[in-house]
Amino acid sequence: MVRITIQVNGRAVSSDIDERMLLLEFIRDVAGLTGTHAGCYEARCGCCVVDLDGASVKSCNVLALQADGLSVATVESMSQQRLAPVEHITTQSLAGVYQPLEAMSSNSQDLHPLQAAFHRCHALQCGFCTPGMLMVLKNFLEENPQPSREQVRMAISGNLCRCTGYQHIVDAAMQAATVMHPDPA
Amino acid sequence: MTPFTYQRPAELAEAVRLLAAGAATTKLLAGGQSLLLALKERTLRPTCVLSLASLGELTGLRTAADGCLDIGATTTYAALTRSTFSGWHAEIAAVAGNLADRSVRSLATIGGGVCQADPRFDMPTLLTAAGARMRLVSASGERSLAAEEFFDPNGGTRMMASEILTRIWIAAIPALDGLAFEKFRFRAFEAAVVSVACALKLGSDGRIASARIVVGAVAKAPLKAVATAATLVGLRPADLRVEEVGARVAAEVAPLRAGQTLRQCYQSELAICLTARALARAAAQARKH
Repeated sequence: MVRITIQVNGRAVSSDIDERMLLLEFIRDVAGLTGTHAGCYEARCGCCVVDLDGASVKSCNVLALQADGLSVATVESMSQQRLAPVEHITTQSLAGVYQPLEAMSSNSQDLHPLQAAFHRCHALQCGFCTPGMLMVLKNFLEENPQPSREQVRMAISGNLCRCTGYQHIVDAAMQAATVMHPDPA
Repeated sequence: MTPFTYQRPAELAEAVRLLAAGAATTKLLAGGQSLLLALKERTLRPTCVLSLASLGELTGLRTAADGCLDIGATTTYAALTRSTFSGWHAEIAAVAGNLADRSVRSLATIGGGVCQADPRFDMPTLLTAAGARMRLVSASGERSLAAEEFFDPNGGTRMMASEILTRIWIAAIPALDGLAFEKFRFRAFEAAVVSVACALKLGSDGRIASARIVVGAVAKAPLKAVATAATLVGLRPADLRVEEVGARVAAEVAPLRAGQTLRQCYQSELAICLTARALARAAAQARKH
């Protein structure tokens, strides 16, 4: 057992862990954030992508120990809206969180522009790959303000989606790029 | 994964000492993108994992006084992609930015890929063509190995278990006039089915003075097409008949034989066109130089 501390979405999470614990397991089981999905555990599907000190990594292929002292951002950090979990899901409790699409902008209280674009473009069906897609694309779009469709495809080449056929995901990324960087330099 | 202890020394001397104490049961961890896969599948069962993450002298790029490019072994592919190189050194960044996928490149390191020595990986092939040297440190001192000696023809590397790869040296710009790498893979994030790297050096008369053609993924280590490369000496880059050279390279390193698998036949055909492409690009680069 080793004691480690990782900043998860700005919150310092400390725990005694087994050396073999993966960063993915730390995020889901210790920090309790289940937005990061566990898909293949062999760095293929990309559902578990998180931001580790500004770089997107597949958290199933990193030891939690490797991230000791570093900061991690998960899909939950993309919009403030849902950081407080809905304890008991009813129509009423969901209605409290739901905002119509028109109200969604790049305002930090709303969905991230990329999430809003995913919603608008139907870039998800079952949604299992979505956390990874969002984290990779967010990192990519921050680095490349005006990507081509080909570049977006290469950026998500490590993320598998078995529903959408990727077309709508690329559409969403292109749309989000124009929202995130409205004034092309 | 089987249980292991984890150590993260802050200094290279300490890492060397820890490794010497239990080299047979210790695995070095750089980015972990190959190691973790092996640990999870239990194909490796080390009792100690030694992280190189805190060793500053193993990371980063610098240009030595003599113009040599000196790359730290734990420099990630992402960092290489972001760096600006001049001349043929740029091919290293281009290759680093076009392997595996974005999220893997953020952690995977050039030294890790080289030590893993999977023949389907791009860096062993490229570094062999570029004539890179590997600096190895162990408790008994340090030594350096040229890439072609570093990769064992029977697979793996000729590193001793007690050695740590610290830095990779790549010759200064004047050493070559053109370097080009080409590969084929089925899907963007997969390892190469075949990769080819060509390096050309022109003489003062504008004719090829030396050439290196290296083919990856067809054997257990990058294979040099020595005989074919020798026939290029004395030719002008503009006069190269690249398809014909490609066919000779394929015949030399991946010949078609009876009883081969379909994959091997395909690799042989790929070697022809990939050599032609790489050679054409290296020759164009050399002519501009």
